Amino acid sequence: MKVVTGVVGNDIHVVANRLIDLSLRARGFEVFNLGVNTYLEEFFDAVVETGAEILLISSLNGEAEGWGREVKALKAQYKNLDDLIMMIGGNLVVGSGKAEDIVPRYKKYGFDLVCHQVDLNTGLDTLEAFIQERNTP
Amino acid sequence: MSLLQEERKIILNNEFVDTFDFAEVKEFVTNASKDLFISHHFKQKAKDKMLVQPRGGFPTYKKQFALYEFFVEANVDVLPLTIDSNTRLNDYATASKMLRLSEANDVDMLNGYPLVNHGYRTTRKMITHFNKPVSLRHGTPDARLLIETAIASGIFEIEGGPITYLLPYSKNFPLDKAFLYWKYVERVCANYSTLNEPINRESFGPLTATLVPPAITIVIQLLEMLLSLEEGVKSFSVSFAQNGSMTQDIVTGAVLKKLAKYYAEQIDCADAAIHLVYHQWMGAFPTNRDYAEQLINISTVIASMVGADKIITKTREEAVGIPTKEANAKTVANTQYTLRILNGLPNVVDEEEEEILTLEVQAIMQAVFNDAADTLWRKVFNSIKNGIIDVPFSPHIINHNEMITVRDAKKNIRIIKRGNVPIPDRCYAYEKAQCDLTKDTTSIVNDIIHDIGIMQ
Repeated sequence: MKVVTGVVGNDIHVVANRLIDLSLRARGFEVFNLGVNTYLEEFFDAVVETGAEILLISSLNGEAEGWGREVKALKAQYKNLDDLIMMIGGNLVVGSGKAEDIVPRYKKYGFDLVCHQVDLNTGLDTLEAFIQERNTP
Repeated sequence: MSLLQEERKIILNNEFVDTFDFAEVKEFVTNASKDLFISHHFKQKAKDKMLVQPRGGFPTYKKQFALYEFFVEANVDVLPLTIDSNTRLNDYATASKMLRLSEANDVDMLNGYPLVNHGYRTTRKMITHFNKPVSLRHGTPDARLLIETAIASGIFEIEGGPITYLLPYSKNFPLDKAFLYWKYVERVCANYSTLNEPINRESFGPLTATLVPPAITIVIQLLEMLLSLEEGVKSFSVSFAQNGSMTQDIVTGAVLKKLAKYYAEQIDCADAAIHLVYHQWMGAFPTNRDYAEQLINISTVIASMVGADKIITKTREEAVGIPTKEANAKTVANTQYTLRILNGLPNVVDEEEEEILTLEVQAIMQAVFNDAADTLWRKVFNSIKNGIIDVPFSPHIINHNEMITVRDAKKNIRIIKRGNVPIPDRCYAYEKAQCDLTKDTTSIVNDIIHDIGIMQ
């Protein structure tokens, strides 16, 4: 399956981005990594261009919250993205917050899977489980 | 008018800049106190004492002055001037606004000193008052105006370079432009170097400070040195950061010193003075302040084993945020103390590791020189573009990211996937033989996460 991934906004934290790339490939995904410092439009453009089925956005500095609010409105401007699996992970707030508050908020923004301070492999296990469940008739 | 003068006119055409009086600047540099030149201190102290330099920059003149007072009290050898992030991106309008806010409210709105906005006439008063060498720390791809202002202020050491200030910091600033902007910087430094003691240029060896193998660090140090020397710079510092293995640091220092001398001779620049700078641990720091001090102390010991000419310090508050002037000065005093009591160090040599590393560096350098381009900067540009040089964890789009490194059982950084980097087969086999390669990628990723956070 094809995945578009990258770090959203003015966030230059590259280490996790590389490790996500590496781990996804090891699990057999075809990865299109846009790297750090990526804007929402660029993510959706890349999904359209590559025909990806999954969009995995990550954030470390917490500014995803600011961008998250715009996801639905922006996604609505693109055609045929209804089946796109939307996932976000990393450190999703500035300062500290509880996962039970943060996860529902991001689901409302339009994400199917939300991983706040979850370790990488657990997060990717969740993704694979979600795909399997969806593909089971 | 020469091309350099024309370019000068273009960069000075900017509403935030002092009116430059180049005749006056020339006279100032010609008659400046020798104490302001780190190249002079290297000559004096080369044999006996490592120079100690902290990091630090505050927005206002007043706070920067106060920081320097603390440093001098702590017996500092070299003062730092760290530049704010807006100036690094040539956004002088924002820097100016944030400087005014910092002055009005006594709250720091910038993470460094906005040198261009303060101007050289003001800054020179501070630099000449303390009469210590000052090192310019920035991270600017287009540093032309900044460097003109710095030298006019009496700052005679300039850190950075087209590769080391771009690949770790930027996603898409064009690398070819960076090479040309830095060519200007080298020429300006070379021109001023003929007037008094030489201006010292220093490369930024730590790069991403994340599992960068010594071969890549050394190659980039050597190439930035050559790019600088070929423009006429006469004093240059190569550098690297503590890597997590004492053996590997000592081997890196030995090979870097040996090959810097060799390649400088190859381009008939044997008359240039080459120095070695060591950065205390640049990766993630422990949040426990006492542990941070232990780490800093170990760094100082290794710098002595390596035989560095200068050490650049961290503080016990590294994991927490921008350090206070008190914490910063404390590190300087502690480091000076450690250096004073470190006597009778043994001479450690690991011949096998030195041989492997030397072969790797020579193979990569040869591949760069073999590129068909007509000038060195184009050869280097092409080599980065086609992955002959590959920096682990660089965010820049031009970087290949094909090389994978991990730590072996002794915590040495090893290349387990070379990508397009021409690591000779024998060396590659040696590197891989030190690691457990039977693991699956998931375990390797977990190891990498652990290896990055090794000091926490």
